[in-house]
Amino acid sequence: MKSRGEALRDYVARRLLLMIPTFIGITFATFLLCQFVPGGQIDQMRMALAGADGGGEAGGGAGDTRAQLDIPEEQLARLRAYYGFDKPLPVAYAGWLADIVRLDLGTSFRYNEPVARVIAERLPVSIYYGIITAIFTYGICIPLGILKAIRHRTRVDTLTSMLIFVGYAVPGFALGAVLSNLFAVRWELFPLGGFQSAGAAAMGPAAHALDIVWHSVLPLIAYLAGSFAVTTMLMKNSLLENMSADYVKTALAKGLSWRRAVFVHALRNSLIPMATTAGGLLGIFLTGSFLIERVFNIPGVGLLAFEAIQTRDFPVVLGFLVISSVLLMLGNLLSDLIVALVDPRVRFE
Amino acid sequence: MRWFRLDPVTRRRLQRFRRIRRGFWSFVILMAAMVLSVFAPFLAESRALLVWFEGRPYFPTFQYLEMATFGQEPPAGWDGREIETEYFRLQREWRVEREMHELARVRAGSDAAKLAALDAKYPNRGNFVVMPPIPWNPYQNDFSANETLPEIQSALGAGNQERAERLARRDGLADLARAIADGSIATLLADPEKSPTGTLAGLARTGAMPSLAKLGTSPPHPPDAGRRHYLGTDAQGRDVAARLLYGFRISIFFALFLVLSAQVIGTIVGSLQGYLAGRFDILSQRVIEVLIAIPGLYVVIILAALFQPSFWMLLAILALFQWIGITFFMRTEMYREKTREYCLAAKSYGASHLRIVFRHLLPNCLTPLVTFTPFAVVGAIFALTGLDYLGYGLPAPTPSWGELIDQALQTQNRDKLWLILAPFGALTATLVLVVFIGESVREAFDPKQFARYE
Repeated sequence: MKSRGEALRDYVARRLLLMIPTFIGITFATFLLCQFVPGGQIDQMRMALAGADGGGEAGGGAGDTRAQLDIPEEQLARLRAYYGFDKPLPVAYAGWLADIVRLDLGTSFRYNEPVARVIAERLPVSIYYGIITAIFTYGICIPLGILKAIRHRTRVDTLTSMLIFVGYAVPGFALGAVLSNLFAVRWELFPLGGFQSAGAAAMGPAAHALDIVWHSVLPLIAYLAGSFAVTTMLMKNSLLENMSADYVKTALAKGLSWRRAVFVHALRNSLIPMATTAGGLLGIFLTGSFLIERVFNIPGVGLLAFEAIQTRDFPVVLGFLVISSVLLMLGNLLSDLIVALVDPRVRFE
Repeated sequence: MRWFRLDPVTRRRLQRFRRIRRGFWSFVILMAAMVLSVFAPFLAESRALLVWFEGRPYFPTFQYLEMATFGQEPPAGWDGREIETEYFRLQREWRVEREMHELARVRAGSDAAKLAALDAKYPNRGNFVVMPPIPWNPYQNDFSANETLPEIQSALGAGNQERAERLARRDGLADLARAIADGSIATLLADPEKSPTGTLAGLARTGAMPSLAKLGTSPPHPPDAGRRHYLGTDAQGRDVAARLLYGFRISIFFALFLVLSAQVIGTIVGSLQGYLAGRFDILSQRVIEVLIAIPGLYVVIILAALFQPSFWMLLAILALFQWIGITFFMRTEMYREKTREYCLAAKSYGASHLRIVFRHLLPNCLTPLVTFTPFAVVGAIFALTGLDYLGYGLPAPTPSWGELIDQALQTQNRDKLWLILAPFGALTATLVLVVFIGESVREAFDPKQFARYE
């Protein structure tokens, strides 16, 4: 009989091993996707050599001028060799994968810097928004879910249901567009976009923090509007289910106060499903919603990846896809582990 | 039909759905809007519904009728047989003839010869045009604001007062028409304070003649009931209301087709996973794991950037990632249902696997399918609008909400609030209806009766 600790260790090891084939699948799919596209790496280098593309700033137009460029054949061959395109596909993939495993994601065409550094530079912005969104989501959804469960089928319940579902129905980026055109352009109450003011670095720490908060009011509303419904309803339904469970009946029957039975016994158990959503946050930190980032021109990782697609900066696109899919897999594992931590009934099989 | 005969459980669920008023009425309204949108050519179209010309009706909605048919004057340099009738202009031209005929008759008194001459001068006074409520199609660029003044100016220059007055009346410039009729226009134009250039354009610029003030500007134009742009025009001078309507039609049917195809694929795969289990289940689960770990929208954008997809191609690309969600539920349902007695019974009398899955098991596993479909529709509309906003959705002139939002976010359009409020309102209204339907369906199909202690 293994102890719980050993079982946990074996379980994590097994799950991590299972991730390997999935990881290979993901990387192969994304590699394929980026290899066969026009305006890919070779074309980019051709443009750079021909001087037609000033550092890759001309977004999206990579494919159009391709035909006019004349690069000597031997130079092209050198380029193909450099990127491994002269090798058969499996060999090229293996070479690329070996680089990835050594955490070498290549060099961005657009920024001419290592992809890892380009992404890392954008990370603080994404993490800031990710954390704030998570705090607000849980800070509002859990109490609201509890309230709705206790006041099930009353006017408060119906009204808040209406509100959160209307919020759910509104696409965040469209709401963001309305907010910015109204509050930033028409009434000039908030800044138009960006993460901070241009001169923010020269401000004192307090003024700097205030500046960032000032810039994030509108985007946060756009981020949050749609995020209440799912979590609140999960909390509500889970608490309702627990409130009608036998153990709560027993607690009440032996004379416990209703308050104690619900808030101590039922509530603790009903928080377990909330833990399942926690691991997913790992991915959200990175991706965010690049639609909202684009509306408010927030320089997060999501927007970076979108711009990389536009400018055909495929090392960044690939790097982003690899990192975010790995984070998603780890997030799923993390969710399961958190559930196992808070719920001793879960067995590792 | 026996497949779809409603069993008592389903009938009770439908009754429960009807009793949830919010959801039921959302359903009714959305269905009505969809049916209406199918008839969009009768609601927003530059072709008239009916033209009554010299005692005979014409129905141009689905028919090409050249300008010469109705004797409409073609633009300079064109032949009336070369271009299609401009019905909205025709409507206003004939209406003006009627008005001026009336006015002239009053002035003429009871002189029979004069009256007869007048009747001959305004031959179209008895004709009329019935336009759709929105007399614009979603692709049409309305640049009339730039064309009206030069037209009147050239009529004035040619000394044709009567034609100038007619044109001014046609375009609803009442004060200009009056000034032309009583001759005061000459003094106005001569006054350098009011018209520094001595032309109508100068009058428009100084604001001396209020009705001209909005002419001579370029689109987007704000809502203008007189021009029947109820929600204004976009940056290309296209009617926003017409584009919203056609955008609704495209979005909702795109979403329905997408969800339908995705759910069919997802249901088949999920059912087979649950029923066959074993190797097929494990293998396909790995494939699904790969697919869900890839950020779908990015891949869709990459593919869309490569192919510049058409309606059906974009649908296929999006379906690639949309079918996964439902497989999990169908798989679980199948795992549970296949151990039931009726399944064993079907197996024992020799039913084939396919027959067992799709004939016996599937009808009992439909609850997740029904309850998740409305939310999948919301997701599909989100995706299409988002892609259109990014410029990777349906190809360019297609009327689309996302494209309007993109226009509204261009720096020069940001203060033109109708450009953002119109698509936002349409989007929100549609999605709220779908979400309310979804919520009510879920509640009707899955009513948890909870004990309450209070």
